[in-house]
Amino acid sequence: MSEIGRLAIVLGFVVALWGIGASVLGALRRDRDLVASGSHAAYAFSALVGIAVAALLYLLLTHDFNVEYVASYSSTTLPVWYTISALWGGMKGSLLWWTFILAVCNAIVQAQNRAKNRDAMPWVTAVLLSVGAFFLSLLVFVTDPFERLSFTPAEGSDLNPLLQNYWMTIHPPSLYVGFVTTTVPFAFAIAALATGKLGDNWIRTTRRWTIFSWFFLTLGNLFGAAWAYVVLGWGGYWAWDPVENAAFMPWLTSTAFLHSVMIQEKKDMLKVWNMVLVILTFALTIFGTFLTRSGVISSVHSFTQSGMGPFFMGFLLFVLAVSIGLLAWRLPMLKSRNELESVFSREAAFLLNNLVLVGIAFTVFWGTVFPVISEWVRGVKITVGPPFFNRVNAPLALALVLLMGIGPVIAWRRASWQSLKRSFLWPTATGLAVGLASLLLAGGNFYAVVAFSLSAFALTTVWIEFWRGMRVRQAMLGEPAWTALSRLVGKNRRRYGGYVVHVGTAMVFIGIVASSVFKLEKQQGLEPGGTVDIGPYTLRYDGVRTESDPHVDKTLAQVFVTRGGKPVGTLEPEKRFYKRTKQPTTEVAIWSTLGSDLYVVLGSYDAPSKSAVLQVFLNPLMAWMWLGGVVMALGTAICMWPAWSERTATVAAGLPAGTRTAS
Amino acid sequence: MSGPRVPPLRRRDFLAGAAVSFALLAGPAAAGASAPTQAGLESGLTCQCGCGLTVHSCNHLNCSSSIPLKKEISERIALGGSEEEILSYFQAKYGEKILSAPTTTGFNLAAWTMPFVGIGLGAAIIGWVLARWRRGAASRPAPVVARDSLEGDPASRDRIEAALRDWDTRS
Repeated sequence: MSEIGRLAIVLGFVVALWGIGASVLGALRRDRDLVASGSHAAYAFSALVGIAVAALLYLLLTHDFNVEYVASYSSTTLPVWYTISALWGGMKGSLLWWTFILAVCNAIVQAQNRAKNRDAMPWVTAVLLSVGAFFLSLLVFVTDPFERLSFTPAEGSDLNPLLQNYWMTIHPPSLYVGFVTTTVPFAFAIAALATGKLGDNWIRTTRRWTIFSWFFLTLGNLFGAAWAYVVLGWGGYWAWDPVENAAFMPWLTSTAFLHSVMIQEKKDMLKVWNMVLVILTFALTIFGTFLTRSGVISSVHSFTQSGMGPFFMGFLLFVLAVSIGLLAWRLPMLKSRNELESVFSREAAFLLNNLVLVGIAFTVFWGTVFPVISEWVRGVKITVGPPFFNRVNAPLALALVLLMGIGPVIAWRRASWQSLKRSFLWPTATGLAVGLASLLLAGGNFYAVVAFSLSAFALTTVWIEFWRGMRVRQAMLGEPAWTALSRLVGKNRRRYGGYVVHVGTAMVFIGIVASSVFKLEKQQGLEPGGTVDIGPYTLRYDGVRTESDPHVDKTLAQVFVTRGGKPVGTLEPEKRFYKRTKQPTTEVAIWSTLGSDLYVVLGSYDAPSKSAVLQVFLNPLMAWMWLGGVVMALGTAICMWPAWSERTATVAAGLPAGTRTAS
Repeated sequence: MSGPRVPPLRRRDFLAGAAVSFALLAGPAAAGASAPTQAGLESGLTCQCGCGLTVHSCNHLNCSSSIPLKKEISERIALGGSEEEILSYFQAKYGEKILSAPTTTGFNLAAWTMPFVGIGLGAAIIGWVLARWRRGAASRPAPVVARDSLEGDPASRDRIEAALRDWDTRS
């Protein structure tokens, strides 16, 4: 099977090269046959990469330890679900997985556009296959996932225990999907530059891809935070690790693009800027991959490090050189009739929103690379950690939430005092009231008061938008409230879906602020029967119990929790010892409510005395963060949901729903 | 539909408001508390075990770095001195890499200032661009009906959007 996999990636690489050549030549010579051949190559590329993935999966599931990758990242005792996730648990497999997602995207793009975008498609195909060919070239020439060993180990080394967690089975795939799908808007942008057809067709064509990509970047970041929260056991979820930053930066620029693209659609402005954002977002995904795999900056994600850094840096420079070259070439054609009637307009608010989002991305980038710059300039290694990022980004995040409240309701073109008063009176009053309440309840923490106040402001603007729209439908059409609301949303899904995303973002923001500012923590050594109090909770340590299976030994502390004297239940924070890797890990126990998370870590355990050290955290409003993520996902789904007219049109045409987006 | 003409907001009012807001938001960031606390000092130092976390956050079992450092921090607090002095002591003893954020002197100042320089530069460019665009708009005749009066009216807005959607579908 490894030979089949190896053959598939070699053939895939050759087919990709053919497809690139055929597409480019076909576009230049206007040769339909060559263009069609390029498109067929894209399908063949997808099939071959699919075969390679299936081969590696088969080797993992059949425990063929003669294959180096299988021996390094799995074992016979590894549960089957984690054996599947070992596919992306190591560097070689993750590169193959990445290529597979890209290949699937490429096939979908080909299918969506088989009768559309005829001028652009050869270039789109060439770009998508070029990126695919780069990744496959690494697997063919540098790091073969199907490499065989000269001997067959009796047992595999097992998957890194930190990756043996359910969040880790979905965090990397989500993030990869988010990363990889940024290639589609990038490919259409490059095609627009290459063909000189620089209207907003490429933007309309890739609208749903952009939202889809953003959706998975959001999920990927949130799932990563959830993984850190339940696995790393330090009571937090975001440590500004370079690799976390690498995933966060494309999300920021992608968010900026989703907003600025509306200005191009409505006002035919910001064409150059939108190109820059699409290129930047794609480049940042490659930069993120470089950071993860180069080891140039120390990271907790060191398990994916390798000597691949120079290849990714080279590819990144190539991408930037080609993109900037094309952009410079087409600059005169990208000039648009930019006009602004007033700085008090939605256009200006969106520009400020872009400034803040890109500003945060720049801050994160700068903080991430500064240790390297410092070492170059001064020869001194320094650390840029959470205090830097929190301090610099806090005022920017507050400004962003303020703009999140202003942007949706301020008028396009020009807002007068009258309309500003009408739109912002209640949100401002609510924001001030919540700020005052926070001041009284939160003990005067400046950031918390401002953050809660601005979040209330932003949430109220969204609420009023929904309420007004619903009331108008009720008054004019006599619809019941629920019908009015659902039709209001259904008739303008993108707008109201966006508002729902704003609600989710505000919830996440509130969760982050509350859990950061008002976190309580205690560390205490306890004998059996000993208690520790935190917030409204009392925890009684009742000793430990053990569990063992061929894969892992577990020591589970028995912690009986009461709240105000009433029993809540027994929490079981664990220490695990993975037998193959001989590595200990921590499994936290969490009692989650809407108000706070009681987060208990078994710090250490002394068997002779049966005493244990418990670390206990009380993280306020943590559930808001995860629920906010769900609301963001719901809002994105509303944005992407195809309209009824769209669905009937595509069904009539015999195409899958949603295909119209690529029209 | 159009009400009495209301004077538009002036840019300088806006800029003044923005400056005051930013000063209010950035103020606490610049202010540093110097009373030493165990948690504050632990957060100011990076664990050297390779976990990438601060000393405060590292919870590795029997960690060879964070556990002795926590002990040393409590000893330094007992000896007295401000937070800055204690951090300087650790910097002198273990090197600059132990600090979890760059110092605010010398080349490290660039770490702190560059983000704001970049954003300031971006703001200046946006200001310049907006001014140019406004000049372009000023050279065109004003519309008879203020768009804004329609923007604020959900019924009108719904009708316009329905018409636009219909237009999109037909085109």
